[in-house]
Amino acid sequence: MKYYTLVASLPALPAHFDVERTPITRPRLSQLLKQLTDKDADTIHQLASFFSWDRQLVSWSDDDIQHRYEELMENPDPLIREIVNLRINVRTIVAAIRRRHDNLGPPTAAGELVAPIQRHWAESTFGLGRRYRWIESFTEQMDRGNIVAADRILLEFTWQTWSRLAARYTFSFEAIPLYVARWEIIDRWTSQDAANGRVRFDQLTQEALGDYAVLKF
Amino acid sequence: MDNFALMLGWAGIYGPTALGAIGSIMGCARAGQAACGALLDVESGYGRFIGLSALPSSQIIYGIVVTFALNREVTTATAPGLFGVGILCGLALLASAAYQGLCCASAIVTTKTKPEVFGLSAAPAAIVEGFAVFAFIFALVIAGGIPTP
Repeated sequence: MKYYTLVASLPALPAHFDVERTPITRPRLSQLLKQLTDKDADTIHQLASFFSWDRQLVSWSDDDIQHRYEELMENPDPLIREIVNLRINVRTIVAAIRRRHDNLGPPTAAGELVAPIQRHWAESTFGLGRRYRWIESFTEQMDRGNIVAADRILLEFTWQTWSRLAARYTFSFEAIPLYVARWEIIDRWTSQDAANGRVRFDQLTQEALGDYAVLKF
Repeated sequence: MDNFALMLGWAGIYGPTALGAIGSIMGCARAGQAACGALLDVESGYGRFIGLSALPSSQIIYGIVVTFALNREVTTATAPGLFGVGILCGLALLASAAYQGLCCASAIVTTKTKPEVFGLSAAPAAIVEGFAVFAFIFALVIAGGIPTP
């Protein structure tokens, strides 16, 4: 009964994540999430911190990742564990593809896919092609150096997974983490778009102004 | 044994009101909470949300009318009929109000995003209301067959 107000107060998410801006700003979302009880808020906070941590994964060592993963998988909520697991699995596959591209060995960090990838290292999709159909197209885009298209494939897969799950929950607690997870995908996509926009703007400025593009004092 | 039968008879008379009230409480509370949430996200159309959230209150009215229709002297001859009609009608009203609340809450969330589908989004709630009306009408019809001492 207690989630009706919160669910109804959240603006609807778009059908697809590739929109120009998030339907709700981060501060406003945080403000609305204050309606949650302390226990639920802790769960959502844990999930949100996982997402922000997930964005900076590059700077973490394998031990850090393993430790953080195990910590998050202790969460009693099965949906939270599923969200974390999916993100880690996607990360593991991406790491494996990159490592193979760089002629390195299989990844050794966290997640249930580390062992299967090590076993099927020689196969093009690590034996996971049927479960994760995006691996082939993702590898293709990576080989072409089309990072944005590759990232889009990953986000598309995750978005579809969460949207499918979200259809099962309307006014229960599960609807909240799934909303936050999908909001995070939009936020990631729109910030990536903003970052790309800044790079393109800098390029255009450079082309138009030449040396004058960089102000010197 | 007679007292137990009489107790069931009284439960049958008051059942539609009590169970209808429980259903309306559940339905209106659910839809009302959703309406309050929607008010946080929109700048206009508040009346629609509050109107939708009040829909599950009709079941208690049906319950009261059925209680009036069943209200008669409770004897061992009338008690089984009163119990059967009253409790089953009450359960139908309870379920319809509780689930209509869910329909209304969903309609509120939908209308908030797409105000142009207000009528359509309220249709599922109206269909659920239709089932409550069937239960109500036939309870009245059958109540006429219960003997009056």
